Amino acid sequence: MIQLKHISKHYPVGFGKNEVLKDVDLTIFPGEFVSIMGPSGSGKSTLLHILGLLEEPSTGEYLFEGEPVQRMSEKKRTQLHRGSIGFVFQAYHLIDELTVYENIETPLLYKNMPASERKSRVADVLDRFNMVAKKDLFPNQLSGGQQQLVGIARAIVAEPRVILADEPTGNLHSDQARVIMQMFKHLNETDKITIIQVTHSEQNAAFGHRVIEIRDGKIQ
Amino acid sequence: MFRNYIKIAWRNLRKSKLLTGVNVLGLAIAFAACILLVLTAWRELSFDQFHTNKGRLQELYITVQRPEGEESRSNFPIPLTPALKQDFPEVKAASRFIAISGSIRYHDKTFQADVKSADADLLKMFSFPLIKGEMHQPLNSLSNVVITANMAKKIFGAEDAINKPVEIYLEGEWKSFIVSAVAKDIPDNSTISFDVVCRFENTPGYVSQKDDWGASSNEVFVQLADHATVAGFERRSGTFVNKYFTAILRDLKRDGVAPGKDGQLMSLHLMPITTIHFNSISSSGGAISKTYPYLLLLIGGFILFIACVNFMNLTIAAAFSRSREIGMRKILGAVKTQLVTQLWGEAVLICLLALVTGLVIAYLLLPGYNALFSNKLSLALLKSPGLLAGVLLGFVLVTLLSGGYPAWAIAKINTLKVLKGSLQAGKSNGLRNVLMVTQFVISSLLICCTLIAWQQLDYLRKMPLGYNRDQVISIPLPYEMDTEQALQRMRNSLSGQTGIAAISGAAINMGRGRDGASQSSIIAMDYKGHSVRSNWLRVDYDYVKALGLTLLAGRDFSQAYGTDSSGLVINEKMAAQLGGVQAALGVQLPVLDSAHPLTVIGVVKDFNFKPLKEDIAPLTMNLVKSWPVQYIFVKVAPGDLQGSMALVKKQWKQLYPGSDIDPSFLDENTDRQYRREQRYSGIFISAAILAIIISCMGLFAISVLVMTRRTREIGVRKVLGASVIGIVALVSKDFVKLVLLSVMIAAPIAWYVMDQWLQDYAYRIHINITVFVAAGGIALLVAVLTVSIQSVRAALMNPIKSIRTE
Ligand SMILES: Nc1ncnc2c1ncn2[C@@H]1O[C@H](COP(=O)(O)OP(=O)(O)OP(=O)(O)O)[C@@H](O)[C@H]1O
Ligand SMILES: [Mg+2]
Repeated sequence: MIQLKHISKHYPVGFGKNEVLKDVDLTIFPGEFVSIMGPSGSGKSTLLHILGLLEEPSTGEYLFEGEPVQRMSEKKRTQLHRGSIGFVFQAYHLIDELTVYENIETPLLYKNMPASERKSRVADVLDRFNMVAKKDLFPNQLSGGQQQLVGIARAIVAEPRVILADEPTGNLHSDQARVIMQMFKHLNETDKITIIQVTHSEQNAAFGHRVIEIRDGKIQ
Repeated sequence: MFRNYIKIAWRNLRKSKLLTGVNVLGLAIAFAACILLVLTAWRELSFDQFHTNKGRLQELYITVQRPEGEESRSNFPIPLTPALKQDFPEVKAASRFIAISGSIRYHDKTFQADVKSADADLLKMFSFPLIKGEMHQPLNSLSNVVITANMAKKIFGAEDAINKPVEIYLEGEWKSFIVSAVAKDIPDNSTISFDVVCRFENTPGYVSQKDDWGASSNEVFVQLADHATVAGFERRSGTFVNKYFTAILRDLKRDGVAPGKDGQLMSLHLMPITTIHFNSISSSGGAISKTYPYLLLLIGGFILFIACVNFMNLTIAAAFSRSREIGMRKILGAVKTQLVTQLWGEAVLICLLALVTGLVIAYLLLPGYNALFSNKLSLALLKSPGLLAGVLLGFVLVTLLSGGYPAWAIAKINTLKVLKGSLQAGKSNGLRNVLMVTQFVISSLLICCTLIAWQQLDYLRKMPLGYNRDQVISIPLPYEMDTEQALQRMRNSLSGQTGIAAISGAAINMGRGRDGASQSSIIAMDYKGHSVRSNWLRVDYDYVKALGLTLLAGRDFSQAYGTDSSGLVINEKMAAQLGGVQAALGVQLPVLDSAHPLTVIGVVKDFNFKPLKEDIAPLTMNLVKSWPVQYIFVKVAPGDLQGSMALVKKQWKQLYPGSDIDPSFLDENTDRQYRREQRYSGIFISAAILAIIISCMGLFAISVLVMTRRTREIGVRKVLGASVIGIVALVSKDFVKLVLLSVMIAAPIAWYVMDQWLQDYAYRIHINITVFVAAGGIALLVAVLTVSIQSVRAALMNPIKSIRTE
């Protein structure tokens, strides 16, 4: 599913450069549930952004489902964002001006899905997340855990093959965190969605199949 | 998708009510102002465009080289037009045209009417369609008249006008005519207009002057044949001039006049009918200079631009705070075009809201605007396809400029930076500053120009004209009256009454009376072997006294001398042509015929008998009866001016119970001369005020944004001990610098432009540096006040609060 070969990433800092990722090799198979762990500033988010095609690696090769990402057109990348990759953020990043329903609906709008199918899909997801009653509320009328559920609902509504989650429970209590993790586990097991999450918590990591330790930009 | 956008847009608008309000209101005001200005300009530019033959229709004018310079005019001798038709195959049709009367009578009812005389070709050349009566040869007979539908209704009411007998007051008597046809009302954007038109042969003086090539009276309109060109016509006109204007050419040669640029002493030219509204050579046209409508469009554009800049700055600033939404959408799979569409769509929505509001404002303001600037505009004009297309184009341009650019700027920002929060709104203010400077350059420019124009008008209005303006009443006399008798009767009944100082009359008013008339006639004669030209003014006894002119030598016309009917009173300029003030006294001039010369009995100090745009020209005043008195002048004692006015009106009513007059003081008349300038300066002042207001609305909004961004910094500075004034100064400093820069850029431009404008005036002010200081002061003051509202609020805020809110 995902294959990184000799990936490194550096940012220019002053006259020199700041090496964030150093020669990373990584393979993730379809259906895996992987947790990335490591101290602050070790490059976890950077790695996740590269995996999610939000950032370009400085050197190395990245194959997404066997295709080299470097050679993909802008259009193809957008296509992947619309259909194959879902994101979940620590800060939720819901659109404040839209209701729960509309937030979840947005990715489908960009896929140009017919209205009837869109409706049934959103209804489906709302039902699954037990949020039907809340569908007309705005994000600021929800608790943090509920907001993150909406974030996940939005990430999966377009039926992606992989979900990238950057500290999805970072802002939540442990109870709420457990609910989110169970949701991930469920999605992974029943829907066969590949899940890659960044986390600081051992408990959360335990929900996955495999833990990738990263330190100073190197996989341990 | 679309509904989703609209929803977001609407929620966004409601979220930031203040900024949206500023945006929409500013833009709406700008749209309203722009619509009014465009309508005004459009009306001016639409003059005479409705003629089907407009491409072929021309007005004739002649350029004559004179000792005192080149002179162009559109008045011609009566025999010229028949000769023109005979000698030029290029001329398909031609018509003379002149105003001949102001009164028409049906049974015993008299009506005021604009009566013109013309050749039969007139109705074929111009698009004045007939709606009733004889459609083909309505002016076949000398006694036929064509009247407009409106006039027909006024005279005959519901009755059919065709073949009805009417009478027109001509040469001191009522002449009978038959209505042969009714024409559609003439559009009010037509330079050539009439209520009643009859055959040219009815023109007063026609019989005596029909072969006279020396006098000039009527205008001539020409329709060129399809193959003919203006250049070809003008080329061949040399021969024509030499053939017919022999006497004048001979005099010009004798006076040693140098030929003009084309090598000719006199030459005929044509101006397209669509330009006469803007050409002061044309007697009928020349209402305004062509620059004015374009100036209006320019100012409208300026105002709209200023509002657009506000919009742009605010949208950019506001959109950066929305960058998270934009970034998230990109991650969810939106492509750049979709984002631009969304953001631009929001701008279109706001613009639409503003346009509708603007239309409503324009609609509400229109009656007042029309009254204030004596226009006849209606929003219905917007229905004309050209204008509609223009407005739509303007609207799309506005949305592209104000919404399109910000949309593009936001859509291209880096997604990741947004989500990481490392993107800060408005870090580089380069573009914003350039735009703000442009705004204030325009506003300061308008303020400077307005101040200078206002000073000039004030200068003209207050300038001593050499005659008494505030104590002299001018009474325009009704056309159909024996005016000499009227003057005599008024003189008898008023003289000796308290408050009345002197009574006289003249053929020509001073300034512009309530009847709107202002005309002049010029005579030329030979004196000691050179030709002398002078304005010719029929006056009456005591004219010098009544107008408060200053006598330099000799005396006023007086009834005490029996010989004064052959006397002349001249001004200094005329005296100079006759050898000086003292030498001129007693000079005998062969004005009308050499057998009965007229004698100079007095010389008066030069006075401005024409608008101040023109220098004082030679003037000869006379008592020759063939130019009848048309105005009575009454000089009244200072003090109870209104009482004297009432007395004059009362006496008139006693003498002529059935006749209405509309007297006015001369100062009203001279003010009226500058009505056009006043009208336009009124529009400019309003535009300048609007421009500065809209600029400041933008400044206000920007300062709100800047202040929110700098809340923390201000808090920290306060904790460190900065004073309120210090903080206000700190925050206002940047804006003040921009405004100062703008004023410095605007001042030289304004100086140049207004210097050009002032060249039009014979009497003009010198542009004073204080104007620019004042304009700069105004702009600066308003700007500082605007910014201060925000900075004072920020400075007074509790610092702990502002530091905590992060
Ligand atoms: N745009 C950038 N320019 C320069 N340096 C950057 C940039 N983005 C990230 N870095 C650096 O890269 C390193 C890794 O950052 P990253 O966000 O991946 O860490 P992280 O492991 O996610 O940490 P945390 O657990 O605190 O989220 C940091 O040292 C950071 O300073
Ligand atoms: Mg991180």
